[in-house]
Amino acid sequence: MTKRVLVAMDSYRLAECAVPLACYICGSDNNYNTELCRHCAAPLALSHQARTQGVRPQMVAVLGTAAAGKTVYLGMLLDMLTRQNSRVQVLARGAFSITLQQRTMMALSNCRFPEKTPNEPDRWNWVHCQAKINSKKNPMELIMPDMAGEAILEEIDHPNAYPAIHSFLEKCSGVILLADTDRIERGGAEQNYFLMKLITYLSEQDSRKTRGKTTRPVAIVFSKADRCEPCFDNPELYAREKTPNLWQQVQQRFTNYGFFASGVAGSVGFREELGEGTSAVPLRIEPRGIVEPFEWLVRKV
Amino acid sequence: MNRYVVGGAGVASVVVLISLTWLFGSFSWALATTVLIAAVGGGFFAYRQFTQKFAAQPSTNSSQPEDAAPRRAASPVDTSNSKDSQSLARKMLDQGRYTLLLRPQIAESIPSKLLNRAQTMLDDEMTLVPGGETIVGKGANDSPDSPDHLDGRVVQVEGFYLDRYQVTNEQFYRFVQNGGYEQISLWDPEIVPALLDFVDSTGEPGPLFWKNGKYLSGQAQLPVVGVCWYEAAAYARWVGKRLPTDPEWVKSGSWPVPLPGARPIQRKYPWGEAFDLNKCNLWGSGHGSTVPVEKYDEGMSVGGANQLIGNVWEWTSSRFGAWQSSSSPLVLDASMRSIRGGAFDTYFETQATCDFQSGDKAVARKRNIGFRCAIGICDLIPDQSMQAEEHPAQVETQELAEVAQ
Repeated sequence: MTKRVLVAMDSYRLAECAVPLACYICGSDNNYNTELCRHCAAPLALSHQARTQGVRPQMVAVLGTAAAGKTVYLGMLLDMLTRQNSRVQVLARGAFSITLQQRTMMALSNCRFPEKTPNEPDRWNWVHCQAKINSKKNPMELIMPDMAGEAILEEIDHPNAYPAIHSFLEKCSGVILLADTDRIERGGAEQNYFLMKLITYLSEQDSRKTRGKTTRPVAIVFSKADRCEPCFDNPELYAREKTPNLWQQVQQRFTNYGFFASGVAGSVGFREELGEGTSAVPLRIEPRGIVEPFEWLVRKV
Repeated sequence: MNRYVVGGAGVASVVVLISLTWLFGSFSWALATTVLIAAVGGGFFAYRQFTQKFAAQPSTNSSQPEDAAPRRAASPVDTSNSKDSQSLARKMLDQGRYTLLLRPQIAESIPSKLLNRAQTMLDDEMTLVPGGETIVGKGANDSPDSPDHLDGRVVQVEGFYLDRYQVTNEQFYRFVQNGGYEQISLWDPEIVPALLDFVDSTGEPGPLFWKNGKYLSGQAQLPVVGVCWYEAAAYARWVGKRLPTDPEWVKSGSWPVPLPGARPIQRKYPWGEAFDLNKCNLWGSGHGSTVPVEKYDEGMSVGGANQLIGNVWEWTSSRFGAWQSSSSPLVLDASMRSIRGGAFDTYFETQATCDFQSGDKAVARKRNIGFRCAIGICDLIPDQSMQAEEHPAQVETQELAEVAQ
């Protein structure tokens, strides 16, 4: 006698996967079990989490030129906020959100800076976390990607070259803009021009404007300021004196802005790498001014 | 003078005679009494004159008056000199410059009472670190947490004294008040042209974060910060000490145990191998700034040096990079000096160990770098108490001799 058994049909199983999943960043449809968005390469885990939790995460962009310190800033920020119960507390959502923090901290504790973020969007680290602020009743869901500096520059020069950046900057609620103090101190104009371009781009993209000015909060952070003590004393004055173009642009295009200074390495040495030129080596780690811009931004968002 | 005395006595006799005649009512009785009084008084006067004359005779009869005169003249000068030197010694003790008095050249001319006080201050304020071998750099276990540019080497260290505490604002203020920034002899010759740059936030000579040449209220017991390596070295000279060398600093914290035929075993932290946030002031402690130097006494070294780890980095006299790995050397600024121990804002515990070395430019005046001083045993007079321990037989003999006397 034949046994009667119930066997699930494969087609029925696949039916579940056939329902498209919209990417939280760019909005394009993807297969249910895909890891990265086929259009912008953002992790679809963000979409899954947003859908299951029923809360719309806010997006915060950390922008700057290549080697301005975006990876170090983000990694350090997350580690500090998860390590100490201060005014802002952060809880990572999903194991992938800890990768950036882990890589950065492992490198810094061993007196090395983390490796340069690759230009390919599928290799970027994304952070999805819950930020709890003492003064606010409800915690906030935040998404913060660590994007490559060259890719940001490419997107500014050729819009839509990087759909992830384009969509993200269009939707993001706040921006942390890193200016490399070391290069400013050395007299290079590159930082100035890049930041001016970025500010113009951001203000053109943002539709929320009052009297022609963007209301999106922007924190301008002078990174690597440990090499310039006066920058810590008064970052706004420093901006006015050392980067007057940037200062003018910010004044004219934004209503919600703040100037900050931050530093991670207490002192820096250099090492000659075979075939790669000179690379900086942090001689010790002394974070300073890392949490303040983020805290300011989160309160403004 | 005798004429006046005789005249005076005559007048007195007439007055006494008249008074006694009126008293007794008889001139003869009065005269007899007056003669008697005059005889007794004259005799006494004569005796006194004689004794005074006799007492003065030796000095007048001296065979060498020229020698005697200078001796008398020199005597008060000598006294004032010794008083001056004693008051100077006392002043130096009050300023905390006791090691200057314990230098062999100076100790000879200091009274034993002051010398004992200096010795007591040395014992109270400095810890004795015995000589021996220590590993400087990565350490014996080649921990994967250690940076690539460090390389462990065994170094021989002579015995020395190390300050128990980091130099405080109060102590450094004495140096500033005493014109330390104006005494060129205290400073390294290469930095003298830049001395005018070493001012506080109000332009007065002093550490960077002071105001009007003084530390801020309530910060007397905090370690002095905002001083560059040259300021630290100048202060050390002023108090009669020096900055510790890199191996000396490591030895005082890690307290190595020598093993025959092997590398010495040494501690990762002054209190042991495991990190303890309750024994030092690092970023994780949550203070966010410096704390008084006496705090965290649970974290002191075996020898009794406090806060070798945490609170502020400490300048050493060595150049940064001296213990670099030859396989992965750093390209460094020539003026970089070695700092040790971590500070209140040091994020990683692995960067605040006894064997972790960092560096900064010698002219850097930062809010998290301070210093403590050291001095070699050979630079001071031998400790009396230690000598007594070393030669108990001699002491016994000496004590017996004293009893016999």
